[in-house]
Amino acid sequence: MFSKKFILAALVFWVLSILVACSANSANSDNEKKEDNDNKQKAEIVYASAKDINDMNPHFYTGSMPAQGMVYESLVENTEDGIKPLLAKSWEISEDGRVYTFHLRKDVKFHDGEPFNAEAVKKNIEAVQNNAEKHSWIKLSTKIESVNVVDEYTVELVLSETYYPTLVELSMTRPYVFISPKDFMNGGTKAGVEGFHGTGPYILTEHKTDQYATFEANEDYWGGSPKVKKITSKVLPAGETTFLALKKGEVNFAFTDDRGTDSLDVEAMNQLVDSGDYQLVRSEPMNTKMIVANSSKSDNPVSETAVREAIWYSIDRKTITEDILSGTETVAYTLFSPNVNYADVDLKKRGYDLEKAKEILEEAGWTLEDGDEVRTKDGNKLAMKLYYDSNSSSQKTQAEFIQASLKGIGIQLEIIGEESTSIANRRSTGDYDLLFNQTWGLAYDPQSTIAAFTSKVSYLHTTSGIAKADELYKKIEQVMVSTDEETRKSLYADILKIVHDEAVFIPISNGSITVIAPKNLKGISFKQTQFELPFEQMFFE
Amino acid sequence: MGRYIINRVFISIPLLLIISLLTFVLINLSPLDPAEVVLQAQGVPKITDELIAQTKEELGMDQPFILRYFDWLVASLQLDFGDSYVTGKPVWSLIGPAFLNTFKLTFVSSVVIIVMSILLGVICALKEGKIVDKSVRGVSFFLTAMPSYWLASIMIWYVSVKFDLLPTSGMDSYKSYILPVIVITISYAGIYFRNVRTSMISNLNEDYVLYGRACGLPEKKITVHILRNSLQVAISIFGMAIPIILGSTVVIENIFAWPGLGSLSVKAILSRDFPIIQAYVLILAAVFVLFNTVSDIVNAAMNPKIRNDL
Repeated sequence: MFSKKFILAALVFWVLSILVACSANSANSDNEKKEDNDNKQKAEIVYASAKDINDMNPHFYTGSMPAQGMVYESLVENTEDGIKPLLAKSWEISEDGRVYTFHLRKDVKFHDGEPFNAEAVKKNIEAVQNNAEKHSWIKLSTKIESVNVVDEYTVELVLSETYYPTLVELSMTRPYVFISPKDFMNGGTKAGVEGFHGTGPYILTEHKTDQYATFEANEDYWGGSPKVKKITSKVLPAGETTFLALKKGEVNFAFTDDRGTDSLDVEAMNQLVDSGDYQLVRSEPMNTKMIVANSSKSDNPVSETAVREAIWYSIDRKTITEDILSGTETVAYTLFSPNVNYADVDLKKRGYDLEKAKEILEEAGWTLEDGDEVRTKDGNKLAMKLYYDSNSSSQKTQAEFIQASLKGIGIQLEIIGEESTSIANRRSTGDYDLLFNQTWGLAYDPQSTIAAFTSKVSYLHTTSGIAKADELYKKIEQVMVSTDEETRKSLYADILKIVHDEAVFIPISNGSITVIAPKNLKGISFKQTQFELPFEQMFFE
Repeated sequence: MGRYIINRVFISIPLLLIISLLTFVLINLSPLDPAEVVLQAQGVPKITDELIAQTKEELGMDQPFILRYFDWLVASLQLDFGDSYVTGKPVWSLIGPAFLNTFKLTFVSSVVIIVMSILLGVICALKEGKIVDKSVRGVSFFLTAMPSYWLASIMIWYVSVKFDLLPTSGMDSYKSYILPVIVITISYAGIYFRNVRTSMISNLNEDYVLYGRACGLPEKKITVHILRNSLQVAISIFGMAIPIILGSTVVIENIFAWPGLGSLSVKAILSRDFPIIQAYVLILAAVFVLFNTVSDIVNAAMNPKIRNDL
């Protein structure tokens, strides 16, 4: 059918394209050009981000947390060693724990030149309180009674009752951070803001929606002008595009985003590190990835503690972290890793033990008839559904892996991938058996995750079916208002023990934040708040 | 002719109405409570029942369906598509610039595609069956068959990373256009030049060509006549090609981080930003209808016979 010449032409074309494709792996002659690029960008960080920085209003939740972290600051900072001064240089707490008096730094100015003083603090906190419904996740928003200006640099926060995580919640990236009152619209921030002038080390100077945003060093920063003078957030789709841009040097920085996903897979990261231009920095464990079981779904076997325990025993976390996650995460045996506050508690260790899992199921009456693949009890099948985020390739692989393990012990697991919004919706309506989730992160754990145990949209369905539910909720209530450190410790230990024994949160791995940065960038560190990086401490060598 | 244009335009109005209704219905069929979607899209960490009620009221979602549809339709006609759930900005302020960016890319690509298609089509038709014809068709067959995301990655790797000639992505200067335009052209020119070629070849065998030759008209003049007649087919094909390219830049835009409609709509779909999805579908449908109408009118202008068909 085809003429000889046509076949010849086709063949030549085919061979040529293969030759071209093969040479991609061997060549390394582009180093000289790389150096050019590096020189150009010596003093700059250009980071790739899959999302635009969005609305930077610090009292909303739409903005990108890393970007908000550069521009805005809170009164106090949450560090590894506890709460430290930031915009407030010191504070006193009244004896009844209801009045917090903050002494502000006197050398702080907003980016638009407005002074940062007690009046600005009062206006900002009141702006947040004006929209309290949106901030109900942060319990402090329901406890603030008034904010009073004592003198120009002293401000008083009055609470309706004692609330021990006050300082921790004030240290969070949002909402209790400060924007110049000149940016307020209609006297507040609820309807939006006119500018984004914070007090932080970087100033937002340019923003092109869905393209890039530029932040320049705040030369008047109270903590000293940052060494890296310019930071650009460039919107790039995760994966191949980001990898190629990093390779060429158009961007030189990438890190785990505020949904916990990396913009590059492990292989691409390793390739960049191998090229000699980049380094990989990983934080200590920041959160726990887990499977949440719906204990309140009484018509499903998952409401039985024994079944949940059996699932716990049948997950091979070592293979998941080493092979599926290629060593980017570490094995988790408890809801919170021991470096989380109050979480260093002695709990029953449950490893990977299929025999033990079978034994537990047998004892609970779930038996395997000859020739059957699925266990039954009173005619009911031991079957359930696990929902995972369809945008996460690693969750899907994990779900398949767990499905295979459970099949081995006679549990039929159906796995269903859905978008994160519908998974969140299932969690709040209780329409699930098992689903993937993660804890809130170091700065928020344990108090925010534990407070979420009692919230309908979070983990109420997860926890309400267990035998000691009432006791659990009572203890959670107590711990939030306790003033004595020892009582708090023992209450947290009790709470963690109850949910651990009931196996409603089945931990899988501990996630951390990954940074890909130019090799000559030093001073890379992490914050307790996970997704914000202290860029002001970084410098090029 | 005036009558034809008026008739043609009137036909598109009910079509657009049906499309708008379908768009609205499909999105409102979603099992999720829109107020909850808004709050989740805004990243509010804890959603309470009071907050949902408050949001519903703010968005006017407590009204009956048909009322909401009419409100939306009337507003849409004035290019007011509401506010994005995620960013809270007016949809038009997001879709407008994105549409312009995609349109720029589509326009440049379409010009290149049309020029290339006509050029290659004419050459192949005139050299029908010869080696030029066969090799052009063979090579274009291979190129068209390549998935565009793969082709794009390979091109970025060589042209941008290895030889450092062009930027890998973004929309910074005229240089940023080169790679995406090449990739789009490769994907489409290979299809459209065949249409030009076929219609040229079928015209070659028409009586008027034979007659012209018999009268001793110079070959160049005959070719111009053939070209003119074959372009009629080409115009309606290109008329539809432009909206198709406009709608299918999603892949290219995502690879090249082009801040256009494709990237915007993918993000909107993933975060369930309904007002943007609605506006995107409606605008694209309107563009399709518009181009279809325009190419019909142009054809009618060129060929009076069609005018009576309506």
